[in-house]
Amino acid sequence: MSAKKVDLSVEFCGKKFLNPFMLSSSPVSNSAEMVGRSFDAGWGGVAYKTLVTDRVPIVHPSPRMHGYDYGDKKLVGLQNVEQTTDRGLKPNLLDIAYLKKHWPRHRVMASIMGFSNQEWADLAKAVTDAGADMIELNFSCPHMTVEGSGCKVGQEHDLVEKFTTTAHKVTDLPLIAKLTPNVTDMTIPAMAAKRGGAVGITAINTVKGLSEVGLDDWVPRPNVFGKGAISGYSGPAIKPIGLRFIADLAAHPELKLPLSGIGGIETWVDALEYLLVGASTVQVTTGIIHYGYRIVEDMIEGLSDYMAQKGVSRVQDLVGKAIPHLHETGQFDIKRQGIARYDMDRCVGCGQCYIVCRDAGGFALEWDEKKRRPRQVEEKCLSCMICGFVCPVQGMISFKEMPKAFKRRETITLGRARS
Amino acid sequence: MGVAKRLDSPDCRGFDLGQAVAEAGRCLLCHEAPCSKACPAQTDPGAFIRKLRFRNLTGAARTIKKNNVLGGACGILCPTARLCEKECSATGIDRPIRIGRLQRFLVEHAWKTGFNPLEKPETRRKEKVAVVGSGPAGLACAAHLARLGFPVTVFEARPEPGGVLRYGVPEFRLPKEFLQRELDDIRALGVVFRCGSPVRGKGAAEALLKKGFKAVFLAPGLWAPMRLNSRKAAGVFSSVDFLAAQREGRKGPLENALRGKPCAVIGGGSVAIDCARSALRLGASDVYLLYRRSFAQMPAEEDERLEALQEGVHFLVLNQPVEYLCDPKGALTGIRLRKTRLGRPDGSGRRKPEEVPGTDWTLEVRAVIEAIGNKAPEGSSQAYPSVAVRPDGLIRAGEKDGRTSKAGIYAGGDIVRGPDLVVRAVSDGKAAAKAIAAQLGVRA
Repeated sequence: MSAKKVDLSVEFCGKKFLNPFMLSSSPVSNSAEMVGRSFDAGWGGVAYKTLVTDRVPIVHPSPRMHGYDYGDKKLVGLQNVEQTTDRGLKPNLLDIAYLKKHWPRHRVMASIMGFSNQEWADLAKAVTDAGADMIELNFSCPHMTVEGSGCKVGQEHDLVEKFTTTAHKVTDLPLIAKLTPNVTDMTIPAMAAKRGGAVGITAINTVKGLSEVGLDDWVPRPNVFGKGAISGYSGPAIKPIGLRFIADLAAHPELKLPLSGIGGIETWVDALEYLLVGASTVQVTTGIIHYGYRIVEDMIEGLSDYMAQKGVSRVQDLVGKAIPHLHETGQFDIKRQGIARYDMDRCVGCGQCYIVCRDAGGFALEWDEKKRRPRQVEEKCLSCMICGFVCPVQGMISFKEMPKAFKRRETITLGRARS
Repeated sequence: MGVAKRLDSPDCRGFDLGQAVAEAGRCLLCHEAPCSKACPAQTDPGAFIRKLRFRNLTGAARTIKKNNVLGGACGILCPTARLCEKECSATGIDRPIRIGRLQRFLVEHAWKTGFNPLEKPETRRKEKVAVVGSGPAGLACAAHLARLGFPVTVFEARPEPGGVLRYGVPEFRLPKEFLQRELDDIRALGVVFRCGSPVRGKGAAEALLKKGFKAVFLAPGLWAPMRLNSRKAAGVFSSVDFLAAQREGRKGPLENALRGKPCAVIGGGSVAIDCARSALRLGASDVYLLYRRSFAQMPAEEDERLEALQEGVHFLVLNQPVEYLCDPKGALTGIRLRKTRLGRPDGSGRRKPEEVPGTDWTLEVRAVIEAIGNKAPEGSSQAYPSVAVRPDGLIRAGEKDGRTSKAGIYAGGDIVRGPDLVVRAVSDGKAAAKAIAAQLGVRA
């Protein structure tokens, strides 16, 4: 199939998106000027930066973010204390109207957050009048300075239902509840939102975290003039958490709502994984903070080529395809066993496999000091595969299934084997 | 122009923290690290790179300096491509870890952050030790003994310490400030330097023993240049004088001799390359490197050769100098050369150059630097008559402990090995320090 024949458009909560790639509600979707440029770059839609009423003025702490690096890898995580929009309600509503006028085929989902029941109604009404395509209810910001808002709502399930109901009463637009991962089971608030009238779920908002502490001042980062806070952590480091929650929601037997996935998406591969575990659209912030809007080019091209190669013509046909393969660990077939397979022709002799097998594995390797090569004792291999994780040669160590007759031999270092 | 560009290139600067962390991130953290086994001075790159990787930068600097007190200089000067980096397992993936650059970075980082990895000894001992020569061997020996608490005095003939590091390596390779910091670290251990104090004259070394020094380490280096057997001409320099003059602030006369003029360097070793690159920097219009074998047989390190080529040195290989040509006043006008071709391998395993008769030609040059090797100065062994020396003036000393034929006198570095690497001299200094400490009842 040609990549040109691939249709990236997708339906989400009754609205057609040009592609599943959206800006999430965050600094990257702060104004029409920014969002317009992102649409021109290729993004299919936006969750517009969360609107609030002008009653409580929002002033962001300074500095408001902190980058978390791993070795030489920059920004594997991002800590932030940014809040909702700090612009006035009116200019934001005008921006939404402007976007809908100039980019009618792109989807504008207005994110809102009320600080009282009435405010949810007022904001839902206002963005409906401004021409937004849909509304995202922000129940999930983990570091609001306004008491009783953000993820504190998302953790109180009756409030989720109540505010959703309130919004539902004043608008016909699809309501999507944006939920916090700072709960044990997200399906409970998701069901509450559904009862209130939500027709879709966005997840996840940032994970509460503490990424770094200053070694000289002992202040957690970002250091806001001598004070730190537990606040929202995002970026590639949280992708496994985001995928988990989307999969939970997608697998829930009663929820059955369209999902918008967020959490550590930078490439088409990340996006595809979210689609496979059940998201119909995906949203990005940290990836854009790191690289800019241009990354969508590679998401579009990469996903199109993948679909062409796989013979999948519609994005919709990928959504949730991993869910049938998701099981409880108790359902694994433990009668089938395997070991790590070594392609010794490619070994460079670093010996890292030997170190980890001794210190964390099954003592299944011997070390030939002269040749600088590991030698595997197959019966001792636990198939933990950590040797493969540390091996610097791509694909040199892989997993292979062993015949039924394979018997693993436990390494006895102290005491006697049970007979 | 080419020179200026190269001088500004990142190669001449050390890594910054980000680059170092990235490079350390490539390290395979080998079991029984082969790089560590390949270091002549046991600097232990496998350990210090691992420490860097785990953000233990202070520990990494400590590992380097404890094992090799000239770790910074070695990081710059070592031919790592045929030592630690040659054994690097990452070569099997793509290219070796740039170990020398990391080593230099860690030492510089410690200086920058004010961390001194070498602590002063807790116990002070009484037994004084004399070190003759403040080159790499002498400095290593002095530092290691000082760390064990011995009072050490270093006698240096020249006005400033450093030996070959100061007077034999050009500034563009080892900046003065860099050397100064290495020396400061050693001074901080309590080592006393007595510069302008040559140990020469009959029995001067033995006299030190009589003056109360319990042991003497001889590491004066090799400072007598070998010369071509040709007529004298104004404009002909030895590599020793040529390189030392630039470090001693006697640049003026050299610039007069070279600026805007074609000149030649004779030799194919690292020193010849240093001289050729220096000549470019002194403003010579053309610099010819004359070598009687071919490019591949040059003893100079590959990266040095390539850098010299890139800077614009003309490599004139397969040519042998015959004689210097002078004007009536005795000033050099040219050098008569004879072409050579490579024959069968000689004792060194390299193909031997054979002259091609009837191929003489004249290269016009106004200055020549002879860089064909160093030897022990005539009669230098008078200073230590009880120490056995070889016919060529090199001292006979034990490879593992630097012991000479005279009890209490030890030797190391080039005066024992002949011309060799800085890192091997460091290794000699360490070994002798250990033996001296043992002699004085301390296990190092």
